[in-house]
Amino acid sequence: MSVPGHPLDRMFNPKTVAIIGDKGPNYMWLRNNQPFKDRGGNLYSVQIDEKEIPGIEELGVENFRALTDIPEPVDYALVAVPRHVSPYVMKDLIEAEVGGAAFFTSGFAETGEELGVSLQAQLTEMAREANFNVVGPNCMGLYLPRAGVRFNPDVPVADDGRVGFVSQSGTHSIMFSLVMGANGMHLSRCASFGNAIVLDISDYLEYLTEDPETEVIAMYVEGVKDGPRFVKALRAATARKPVVVWKGGQTDAGARATMSHTGSLASPHAVWQGIMRQCGAISTNSLDETVDAVKVLLDAKPSTGKRMALMAMTGGQSVSITDAFVGQGFEVGRLSEQSYEELSSFFNIIGGSFQNPLDMAGTVQGKRETLERILGILDADESVDALVMEQSAMFGARQWKDHPERVEDLVDTLASHIERSAKPFLMVMHPAHEEAFVAEVRLKFAERRIPVFASFERAAAAAARALPQGTRS
Amino acid sequence: MTFADTISSARAENRTLLSEVEAKAALGDAGVPVTATSLAQTREEAAAQAEAMGYPVALKVVSPNVAHKSDVGGVVLGLESHEEVAEAYDEIIRSVQAAQPSATIEGVSVQEMASPGVEVIVGVTTDPQFGPVMMFGLGGIMVEVLGDVAFRLAPLGEGDARDMIDEIQGRQVLDGVRGQPPVDLGAIEAMLDRVSVFAAEHPEVAELDLNPVIASPEGAIAVDARIVLAEA
Repeated sequence: MSVPGHPLDRMFNPKTVAIIGDKGPNYMWLRNNQPFKDRGGNLYSVQIDEKEIPGIEELGVENFRALTDIPEPVDYALVAVPRHVSPYVMKDLIEAEVGGAAFFTSGFAETGEELGVSLQAQLTEMAREANFNVVGPNCMGLYLPRAGVRFNPDVPVADDGRVGFVSQSGTHSIMFSLVMGANGMHLSRCASFGNAIVLDISDYLEYLTEDPETEVIAMYVEGVKDGPRFVKALRAATARKPVVVWKGGQTDAGARATMSHTGSLASPHAVWQGIMRQCGAISTNSLDETVDAVKVLLDAKPSTGKRMALMAMTGGQSVSITDAFVGQGFEVGRLSEQSYEELSSFFNIIGGSFQNPLDMAGTVQGKRETLERILGILDADESVDALVMEQSAMFGARQWKDHPERVEDLVDTLASHIERSAKPFLMVMHPAHEEAFVAEVRLKFAERRIPVFASFERAAAAAARALPQGTRS
Repeated sequence: MTFADTISSARAENRTLLSEVEAKAALGDAGVPVTATSLAQTREEAAAQAEAMGYPVALKVVSPNVAHKSDVGGVVLGLESHEEVAEAYDEIIRSVQAAQPSATIEGVSVQEMASPGVEVIVGVTTDPQFGPVMMFGLGGIMVEVLGDVAFRLAPLGEGDARDMIDEIQGRQVLDGVRGQPPVDLGAIEAMLDRVSVFAAEHPEVAELDLNPVIASPEGAIAVDARIVLAEA
């Protein structure tokens, strides 16, 4: 799937990729992009250094001494040459009519030194004049999980990516992709755009808005060069799909010279937050908040209601889950009389409670029918807008290790409930003392699209940000 | 005098700060409710204007050099008669001259007093990346200490003004606390909308404060206004 006719479509859907200037002993970029070759893409190397060529060919990649020698149209090129060589490469890229190129090469304006600034100006002028698509420089370029184009050897190759990510930081683009993968969520397309000399955040945002594979857009941004254009692109994007904006550099710099009260109060952070709300975007401040918000958007059904039914395994957790959700502006009120009537017919109130929150370990005791019954009652209750259930690894891990089928059974119970119910369902699974085990188990939930959060606070914050815009139907 | 004329005359005098009288005239023309304000240059003029306006009135110094009028004794509120107004006029001239001898005093403004209500602030600032930005907050301590304000780009779209009002922490104050009646939110929304259009249509306006605006069940009216022009 692609966006036919869009100027960025070729580079975002490449059939042929060239890696320019990759070097041994690791050949980082050629190795990152092996999956592209494995998936049937034409992967080529461009390298003039005779010493490097045998290593490249050993990887099964055909090398050319000049980009213009490659016998077919190149859709995307990754450039990793020394900075002083970059203008020569740019000339070839333009001549070969490559669909777009990312410059991993750095040492440009970000250094603040004269040579870097002038080289960047030279690249910018060449590319602009030729209307050539440049990603970066000083960036990690594109990550296209379905195509197998990657910027890191550990980010997943996947066909089910639904989240587009755009990032001013290369590190954050990799970290986001990895953490998303560890949570069972995949990207549709990702661009790390660095110095953005030609293509800027709004260009990528516009593409992802049109891209049918991208259901949710997230981005990491420190600052924008063209504010009005960004606002226009962001508004157009939020009209089509949810957009999460993670803003870096939120600490306000020194006070601005101002003669008005309004000016003195207008910190860049406060103004940014206002603009994001006005544009209908979801604001986040960190990687985890961004991943959590995306998780709600992808896997929760939408709800603007604030009335939560909270389910915990024990008394202490019942108090804590309530604190977390009330703290985020949710209501944890009484259930309907009918619900109480039904619950009272089987709920074990010795060491448990069914007021709301429900303290229910003693009642459920691992019995699928009982959990289903409780979920059904809460689902039918008209005074409940959304359900949140706690299942801590504190007790769970031991049982699940001894009886793996119980995990499958719980996953199936919850997934079936979600399919039947129109209300959002979130799960909180604190890893307790079992970080590694929970990381594995969590993926089983994610496979069936059960959104799992590591703490009450994270679940509540993500719900407050994103529940109204949940995309699951 | 149109706002364009006001801007030209300020530019000619090489100043960026408009007087309260100039600012209110421009905003009044833009449909923003402001307290009736006129410039008096003698004690007799002040008294006559107050008679015409009706009591009580407030008197404030008009000077391009005075940034904070009350700090130099340039404000007297709650004047109830012809005599009080004339005396207050002289008193303001005396105090300002004593406190800031270098200040050019153009006169004293005679102003209608707003009926009591909740003090809010409506403002405009210019963001270097995004252009004109609206601000709304509760006046007094809420804005001074807590920075409890909301921002949106100008001009405001459908529903933006209401979202700004709903965003502030002290929102409940507007619904009436301690037996106070709720204020007219629609009037605040209309003011925000009009000021935002004014800001968007006049890129020469770098900053604007309506502080305070008095919001009450009867409406919302700006009691003080300040406009700072962008450097020419």
